[in-house]
Amino acid sequence: MAAVIEADARVTSVKLEGLAALKIIKHCQESLPTMVTGSLLGLMIEDGVLEITHAFPFPEPLDDKGDIVKTADEAAVEDEAAALDGHEFQIEMMKMLREVNVDNNCVGWYQSMYLGTHSTSTVFENQLSYQTDLSPNAVVILYDPMQTAHGNLILKCYRLTEEAVQLKQSGKNNFINPRNIFEEVPVTLNNPGLIRSLLRDVGDGLHGPYGAEGSGTDTTFDRLDLSTNPYLEKHLEFLCSWVDDLAAEQYKFQHYTRSLRSNVDSRSKGRKAKEELAQAIDEGWARQDAPKRMESLLMSNQIRTYCDQVEKFTGGGFGKLYLTSGLHGKDDKKAAA
Amino acid sequence: MAAALAQPTTYGCSPALLLSSKAAPSSAAAVAARSKSAPGESSVVSDVVVHPIVLLSVLDHHTRRQEGAGRVIGTLLGKRDGDRVEITNAFAVPHAERGDEVAIGKDFNRQMLALHLRANPRETVMGWYATALPDENDPNGESKCIADTSSLIHDFYAGECDDDPIHLVVDTSLQTDAIALRAYKSTPVCIKNEPLANMFNEIRLAVKSSESERICIDRMIGSNSTEGASTNEDETAALQVSMEKLLEMLETCSEYVDKVVDGTVSADDEVGRNISEVLNSVPRIRPEVFDKMFNDSLQDLLMVTYLSNITKTQLTIAEKLNETLGK
Repeated sequence: MAAVIEADARVTSVKLEGLAALKIIKHCQESLPTMVTGSLLGLMIEDGVLEITHAFPFPEPLDDKGDIVKTADEAAVEDEAAALDGHEFQIEMMKMLREVNVDNNCVGWYQSMYLGTHSTSTVFENQLSYQTDLSPNAVVILYDPMQTAHGNLILKCYRLTEEAVQLKQSGKNNFINPRNIFEEVPVTLNNPGLIRSLLRDVGDGLHGPYGAEGSGTDTTFDRLDLSTNPYLEKHLEFLCSWVDDLAAEQYKFQHYTRSLRSNVDSRSKGRKAKEELAQAIDEGWARQDAPKRMESLLMSNQIRTYCDQVEKFTGGGFGKLYLTSGLHGKDDKKAAA
Repeated sequence: MAAALAQPTTYGCSPALLLSSKAAPSSAAAVAARSKSAPGESSVVSDVVVHPIVLLSVLDHHTRRQEGAGRVIGTLLGKRDGDRVEITNAFAVPHAERGDEVAIGKDFNRQMLALHLRANPRETVMGWYATALPDENDPNGESKCIADTSSLIHDFYAGECDDDPIHLVVDTSLQTDAIALRAYKSTPVCIKNEPLANMFNEIRLAVKSSESERICIDRMIGSNSTEGASTNEDETAALQVSMEKLLEMLETCSEYVDKVVDGTVSADDEVGRNISEVLNSVPRIRPEVFDKMFNDSLQDLLMVTYLSNITKTQLTIAEKLNETLGK
């Protein structure tokens, strides 16, 4: 990667230009159900604001990062060739874009996510490599094509906390609060003047051929959709499978602890045993083949995210439900009178 | 008198295609005709549908143009469906114009196209876009959508596309209150089989966006200020906006009906029919059925909230345990 953002100030917010946002949305939406990735170009402006002005997709073979859809063998076979291709593609694309005066700094990457699934080890590893190799200010933008319906746009920006990066770099198998692995960076959508005036035209629908686009009524009323079940069912399904995964992970831990303990027990007994046991366990956890804590931490973080999403959704659902009942009750009274 | 390829002379970008129209008189070389093309023929493109991302790309490219450059051009990508062309993507192409000479980054175009096709193989070249060119000869500094050089660039793109290329002009001169959009296709004007000039015919143009694009654009329109729109929105606040909008529309409707009843506004059958249709579409549910539906949904929601809260509590306990034991 050619350009690196200067790392003097930590990014506190992200300004995403409409063009970049639309490019991300177009790419992610068109490639469904495949999960795709791409690169973000932009500039670091003062006061810790990162401006993302352009985005371009990575070519199809690189979708091995979308681990949800692809099987492990497929990804392994294509991994090396695709990664090389992808890198060349990226450099080539940036070279071309520089010729037409597009900002030439790679500031991060984007990926489509499925129902808010962001806390996976692939996202973690990718983001880690961006933050260590490219710049500590690199971010990942996640767009959710599934949740972006009913008039709500789901576009999130994450990066790893310093704590998580340090832990990973030190190679320790320590505990870290799952909530402190990823941190969300607030995103705002911004547009330069010319594009704002175009959008205004689209908005009032008076000038030009914008037809049904005008006045933006379509998506405001999509929010009033009362059906909640498919969304919640999907969420519960995901929650179940993630909880299962977490349980499996816990089992791995228990198994490992037991094997450590039994090794020590068989060798010695008596007073010294306790000290030895403690020592052996410490050593055992520091070993390379010990199960990684990060996996289960990421899982619990993800489960928490699902719960939060469910809560947010049900909160809105209650509101809508009572609204409907209110409207309905009024109707009945009128009919009776 | 033919608009012809001239001998290349040395020019700014080196691997570029150089075109010039020395022989053709400027008034005849490019004629912007406002007649609509004849519909009905399936082989003729009569409708162009543009996605907003294309317009945003064009405007972005225009803001980033070289200093002193009059206008910018680029390649339009999309797909063709019968007599309808849908333009879904675009990329910028460097070019330079001086007088009636044009240099186009031909290699750039080819490479960029190859890169785009790798990422999205379904799109093909559909034509080209340009912004309005300020006219140097005009005393008022007015700009025009079709310049003399347009036919040269159009000829170049005719070689790049399978069909007739579409020419999209985004008027960035801002002489009116709006950013005007025009789509053209060209027909050669021939006399005795000698191509004499290109005639640009305006064709129908519409802006269309997919659902998710529309959501994003609505969000951007909604807060069209300098601060920008946040991508996190409060569900209840959004609901309130929707309800207020609904209420407003209902009020407009009943106001109209009241006026018609009073006789201040003459009745329109079409509007009346539409209103009655809308009123009929409201489902009539018996109270007991509605109560059951309401309670069922409520219980479902409560149940799910309860479950998710339990899960969260479990997670918090696990975290606390880990934190204390891990030390």
